[in-house]
Amino acid sequence: MDFLAFLVTQCLNALSQAALLFFLGCGLTLIFGIMRIVNFAHGAFFMLGAYVGWSAVYVTGSFWGALVAAPILVGGFGAAFEMGILRRLYGRDGHSFLMVTFGLTLMMGEAIRLIWGVAALQVVMPQSLSGIVFILDEPFPIYRLFLAGAGIVVAVVIWQFLERTRLGLLIRATSQNAEMVHALGTDVRLVRSAVFGIGCGLAGIGGVFAAPMVTASLGMAPNAVIDTFVIVIIGGMGSFLGSMIGALLVAFVQVFGSYYFPDFALAFMYLIMLTILVVRPGGLLGKEA
Amino acid sequence: MRMTIAVAVLLALLPLGLPPYAMTLLTEALIMALFAMSLDLMVGYARLISFGHAAAYGLGAYTCGNILLHTDIPLPFAVLMAGVFSGVVAIGVAWVCTLATGVSFSMLTLAFGQLLYAVAFKWTSVTGASDGLAGIPRTKGPFGTAFFGTKTGFYYLTMACLFGSFLFARAVVRSPFGAVLRGIRENEAKTLSLGYNTRLYKIAVVAMSYMLGGLAGALYAPFAGFANTELLFWLLSGQVLIMVIVGGTGTLVGPILGAVFFLLVQQQLSTYTDSWALVFGAIFILFVLFVPDGIMGLARRRRAH
Repeated sequence: MDFLAFLVTQCLNALSQAALLFFLGCGLTLIFGIMRIVNFAHGAFFMLGAYVGWSAVYVTGSFWGALVAAPILVGGFGAAFEMGILRRLYGRDGHSFLMVTFGLTLMMGEAIRLIWGVAALQVVMPQSLSGIVFILDEPFPIYRLFLAGAGIVVAVVIWQFLERTRLGLLIRATSQNAEMVHALGTDVRLVRSAVFGIGCGLAGIGGVFAAPMVTASLGMAPNAVIDTFVIVIIGGMGSFLGSMIGALLVAFVQVFGSYYFPDFALAFMYLIMLTILVVRPGGLLGKEA
Repeated sequence: MRMTIAVAVLLALLPLGLPPYAMTLLTEALIMALFAMSLDLMVGYARLISFGHAAAYGLGAYTCGNILLHTDIPLPFAVLMAGVFSGVVAIGVAWVCTLATGVSFSMLTLAFGQLLYAVAFKWTSVTGASDGLAGIPRTKGPFGTAFFGTKTGFYYLTMACLFGSFLFARAVVRSPFGAVLRGIRENEAKTLSLGYNTRLYKIAVVAMSYMLGGLAGALYAPFAGFANTELLFWLLSGQVLIMVIVGGTGTLVGPILGAVFFLLVQQQLSTYTDSWALVFGAIFILFVLFVPDGIMGLARRRRAH
């Protein structure tokens, strides 16, 4: 295999991987930026997205239907949870949020098991995305190309949303000084609910995107949440751009690492995280914690 | 002190009346209690919130497992050695982690824990990789140490470790050293300006915490007869932190109760329903909403009324 083709396909592979990680990391970091809480249940929302996606494909017969339904339902559930439970806890220390989101993780895992059963569910990818293309004579799955593209599109949409819309402005303002935003006449509680819903919705859409490749299973949550933590910590908690950089870094290390030194790829990822934290305790783009 | 003795006597008498399966459960609960109490030293007294305490547990378990599998060192000594080893390793870990404070400290401990997890997953000759170490024996030795290999004996060994560690930890937090730790918890800058090298104090308390946590892990390996990478996974770090919070931080006794509560409730629920996680999760959420300062806080409020 010629080296250029190898490099290009591996880079595309890494990009598609980064896109998945980004869906998770970006939501987690938005939530942290606004509420200063670490959402341990983020992996569970990702998993819920995959299962809701499976059902949506089952009911509507269309993968595109799942891509619309999952973020709305998962995000809606997230926002409801924020309004029902988390809202009562602001002002408490971090312990409370750790326990509540951990409890939610347990409950969601069990609820999913009760509703969908223990067997892994295969989400069928749409016909138009299931083939392969040849890139420099190397076969490459179309779905991964699509995923990389989707990642870029979502990143641009969120970036524009944060920069150009009124809600985006309020979100940025709230992350800097919630009290002032409140004093200026905006109900910060609604901003928080919206952000939590959006963050969870992003995790949910990530679940739908991941489902055709990895199947929807009960083991998704713990692994997803730790990868997400790593990228958010590397990029800096609360930084949108940071989560993008973190996702790219981790994805490239995972893809190239598992090719060149398969025994050390996982350890290498955590080693990078340690090094970055020692040099910059707040992460690459984060404020000093 | 009277309370401690009373509880010790009660626990020591339990093997006379309990069926074997209850003894197993109780032993496991005491091991978890020791693990949770060790974390409370860091979390409750110096506000060093570790997300990677499974590292201490896993280190202890793998070290003890290897000693028992490859040498003739009898069980109680192997357990102690593994605990000390875990404490020594912690000095290095703490030296790095205390470069940061607050959330960053938590994240560094998480990174370290996961790094060990990743290493354990690949270092087949020492950890058995994903299969783990199996068939860990309870090596017999001279001077009557063979007794600790039996079910009842192992229970007493666990109990001795828990009480020894509790008395040690209580002496630590009541000493001048403990007062400095509380100073760090309340206001580190002020403590620093009073002339205390707070970072050394933090490294010391992390080492102690890891030593006791390692002791718990070291007990678990011969208790279960195996050690695997689950013992190093971040999920366990999260669970033990929750046991500490459920019990009440900064009390030592609270986390012990929290761990016992955690294990017993989980066990009881799982005999009634397959969906125990649903109830368990709900308990946590209700706990946060209505009992914010843990079991010990609840007990204190009762007494105040």
